Amino acid sequence: MQLITILVVSFLGAGMVYLAGMISGKTRNILAVLVSLAVVILVSLTYNQKIYTSFYALPFLNLSLTLRIDTLSWFFAIAVAGIGFLSILFSLEYMRRYERLNYYYFMMLFVNAAMLGIVFSADFLSFYIFWEIMSWSTYLLISYKGGKAVAAGLKYIIMSVAGSLAMLFAIVSLYTSYGTLGISNLASLLQTASPGYILFLLLMFVIGFGIKNAIWLLHTWLPDAYTEAISPFSAVLSGMLTRMGIYGFLLIMYTILGLNVLHKLGYGILNFNYILSWIGAITIIIPTFTALLQDDAKKLLAWHGIGQGGYMILGIGIATSLGIAGGIFHTLNHAIYIVLLFFAVGAIEHQTRGVRDLNELGGLIKKMPVTFIGALAGISGLIGIPLTNGFVSKWLIYKTLIMENYPFLAFAALIGTWGTILSVYKFLHNIFLGQLPEKYANVKEVPWTMQLPMILLTLAVILFGILPGIPLKVISGIEKSFGIKPVSTGIFGMPKEIGELNMISILAAVLVAGVVVYLLFSLSAKSRRVDQYDSYAAGSFVPKDRYQFSVRFYDQAYRIIGPYLQDVVDDFYYWLVRKSRSFFQLVRQIYTGNVNTYALYILLFLAFLIFVKLGWRLW
Amino acid sequence: MVNPSLLIGVPLALAFSIPLFGLISKKIEKYIPIAALLINVVICFILIPQVLEKPIVVSIGGWSPPFCINLVVGPLGIFLTTLISSVGFLVSIYAVSYIKEEPTEKYHILFLLLMVGAIGIVLTGDIFNLFVFFEILCISSYALVAYNKDKEGTEAAMKYLIQGSIGSSFILIGIALLYGGFGTLNMAHIASKITLADPTFLFITLAFFITGFGIEAAIFPLNAWLPDAHSSAPSSISAILSGIAIKTGVYGVARMIFTIFNAGSILTFIAFLGLLTLLIGEMSAFRQDDIKRLLAYSSIGQIGLIVFALGIATSLGVFGALFQIVSHTLAKALLFLAAGYMIYKVGSKSITSLNGIGKKMPLTSFAFAIGSFSLIGLPPFAGFISKFSIIYAAIQVKKPIFLAFIAVALIATVVEAGYFFRIVQNLYFKEGKKLEKVTETSGFILISLIILTISIIAIGIHPQFITGLLKEAANELLERAGYIGWVLGGT
Repeated sequence: MQLITILVVSFLGAGMVYLAGMISGKTRNILAVLVSLAVVILVSLTYNQKIYTSFYALPFLNLSLTLRIDTLSWFFAIAVAGIGFLSILFSLEYMRRYERLNYYYFMMLFVNAAMLGIVFSADFLSFYIFWEIMSWSTYLLISYKGGKAVAAGLKYIIMSVAGSLAMLFAIVSLYTSYGTLGISNLASLLQTASPGYILFLLLMFVIGFGIKNAIWLLHTWLPDAYTEAISPFSAVLSGMLTRMGIYGFLLIMYTILGLNVLHKLGYGILNFNYILSWIGAITIIIPTFTALLQDDAKKLLAWHGIGQGGYMILGIGIATSLGIAGGIFHTLNHAIYIVLLFFAVGAIEHQTRGVRDLNELGGLIKKMPVTFIGALAGISGLIGIPLTNGFVSKWLIYKTLIMENYPFLAFAALIGTWGTILSVYKFLHNIFLGQLPEKYANVKEVPWTMQLPMILLTLAVILFGILPGIPLKVISGIEKSFGIKPVSTGIFGMPKEIGELNMISILAAVLVAGVVVYLLFSLSAKSRRVDQYDSYAAGSFVPKDRYQFSVRFYDQAYRIIGPYLQDVVDDFYYWLVRKSRSFFQLVRQIYTGNVNTYALYILLFLAFLIFVKLGWRLW
Repeated sequence: MVNPSLLIGVPLALAFSIPLFGLISKKIEKYIPIAALLINVVICFILIPQVLEKPIVVSIGGWSPPFCINLVVGPLGIFLTTLISSVGFLVSIYAVSYIKEEPTEKYHILFLLLMVGAIGIVLTGDIFNLFVFFEILCISSYALVAYNKDKEGTEAAMKYLIQGSIGSSFILIGIALLYGGFGTLNMAHIASKITLADPTFLFITLAFFITGFGIEAAIFPLNAWLPDAHSSAPSSISAILSGIAIKTGVYGVARMIFTIFNAGSILTFIAFLGLLTLLIGEMSAFRQDDIKRLLAYSSIGQIGLIVFALGIATSLGVFGALFQIVSHTLAKALLFLAAGYMIYKVGSKSITSLNGIGKKMPLTSFAFAIGSFSLIGLPPFAGFISKFSIIYAAIQVKKPIFLAFIAVALIATVVEAGYFFRIVQNLYFKEGKKLEKVTETSGFILISLIILTISIIAIGIHPQFITGLLKEAANELLERAGYIGWVLGGT
């Protein structure tokens, strides 16, 4: 009942918000916040519960739609609900300049409702239904802004439809083979299936989930979609929506199949998990370095979205309890900091009237200190600096790679971090540091409804960085439900037997170091404050606004790595589309417009039927 | 008990009385089709429970079958009649505001006659009678395609007429062959004797029927008339042609193959034809810039899917095909009606001219979007259930060839999604030009759009509204002995 209530509240709430918008904008905004908050509360109440309920029957197919909650779905549900709430809060001010807000709020809540539906589904038909609802509503939201967003939305939905159809094929085939779509039933029935069939299933699901999670080869929709979507939705998209793919991977690989079945797939090194891990590794390296080349703040983050997804896949693929824990934990951490970063970019965009080009910005630190702190915390998490959340999850993944003797994979993950550092440094510096261009002299900090989500997320980045035990406790519950050895964890980090990690000692060390540095500075000579325009180059005064050394920061690096990072996959898809178009054009010319030809077609068809019957006896 | 022959009689009588009503007042004329079809819908809903209990066979002229013309109101017949009457009813509501060009009374007469033809085809149990109704349907559609009296419409109607006549004559040849072979025109009677004849003779007769009905059913390569005819007819007629007329062709093919000829061996070939039709239709639609042509090509694709599902020939496959008939009829009628009014407001059929119309005509665009989503097969709309059933049926037969077929059909769906999603974006998210004067539809047009939209969503969310009837209808096609038994008595 509880799950049905949550879904009813979230779907009907979305509709109510639309209707409220017809009365007044204010009512709508308040209601939207309330609905999303209510969903957060309702979901958090289901913590540690085991619910299974059937909510709708389709007798003609002999199927009934069912819902369930376990630790895995709760984990994703709470993240979805939380991010949904924060993004609605952020939208209140951000969206003020846009029109069709009723539609916007409706779709935002609707997408969140669909995601909740996905994670609560206890059978694959409900899963598919909610999955598709999520896909088309995402398409409607990506396209919302018009202009370039239209092409991005179309690219997204075509890939998404292709992925879902692959998934549908697998789902229907499961149903015909086993006569049930219930996830728990399939989990036991599939244990005895032949490896070939399992591989076919996995391939289909990997296409479906891989497109959503943007693994390399299937990633090309993502950069455009993240960039062109409206910023609060980019946050939702990058935070949780894309990670429905990770949920799917976990569901099919561990909830349903389990390690025993997975280990049987393949010979030696050529097994499913190892290949998946390598796909993860490639997904880390190429996109992360592509991010380095971007000048559009959102595009830069988008490519990181793909790259960090690679870490999750790598962790899940390696299939040790540390690795899976790392992968799941990284999903949460990534959601937190990337949402924070998209909010920060959104804030910048909002206050500078839509500027996202990193070469145009600069020096905003004093104008927008809260946003700066948010962005700083965000990139720290993204890099994985100790005491931020990203550190712990990446540590888990590195640790398991090293312990299990995968030096090349570990190296790949490490290279990814270098690329991350380089590119997010550029991100932070080009926006906040350096000289403030004069045109931004009047920029102010964003209002509190936009600050609050950023502050909350900043706190979360630090909280989970220092006390990783909180989420890891839930994650070890998830691992228990997968039937693998749960990762043992203390509140501050990892116990000795895994290799000690204690965030509180790191915190203490950092604090002590900070105090020492502070003392040294206060003992030394007083520094003199200078104006930011008081700068000199080669001994001569630099005129105002001319000197912004961060512009075209990595030009030299571009020239070296740029040619290797041409997105050949994307080019290939475009080539495919072009070719199919001209082929379709050719096909269309069957209809010549000349009625004589048409009459001929009819006669030939009849003649063909009779000829084949008499001449070939085909049937 | 209501006499099922009223289903044909009422529209027929009212069709010819339209000029008489016109003598009283010009204004009444356009409401006559609404009244006629409303009566039909009511009769249908009264009859459905009775028919599900026991099929009704109406003998005309007091003789018992096979010596008379009879109507066979089985589940399939009543299902299609209900569908035809309801959609016809909604389209006639639409036409009240939409059809302005004189001579409107002729439009309404022809429209009702088209309905009579369609209902007659699905209800009759006599093969020559079937031909007569088929001709009524075809001739009124030829005339209606040319109703706008522009060059485009006349040319399309002419092409349609030529191809349609070839089809009709093939059907007539087929009937003549059957009559020569069996000496009877009663469909059940022929069906009961079919095993007695020489297979080659039967096949050639069947080939004539498939080709003849295949033209109306728009099976590739017999469908070349369709894009022209459907796109240049008035939009209300396009809706009827795409929604109903081609389905009667499919009914004809299905009735011949399943009930009369019992030609199980040709079904895989039929499925292949359906698949081919699907592919060609979707690929041709992809590049269209004329919205009505695009919808017409999309109808070809959808018909292909229906024929493909019929070719699977399991009860689930036929069920899926019938469900697809419902979802396609509703969705395509909705799309043509919505697009028709947008075209009327904007004054151009090009898709780009509809850019940004979502802001000016929110309800119409919404209806269009729902229709396209349903056609693509997205949940929670009607099209999802039908596509799911078809995919399920195709995989369930466990034949490798059907697995390959369905994989190709899924790829065609991606193409379909490609163009429909593009149009929806055009409507909502692109900047429009010259839309100042465009205003939202109102009155009658809105009523029919809203009812269609609601029924698509309602059937999508609660398919049980129709599944019971559809299951029975699918059984009627698959169990020919039952059909023969209803008509001729015995088992």
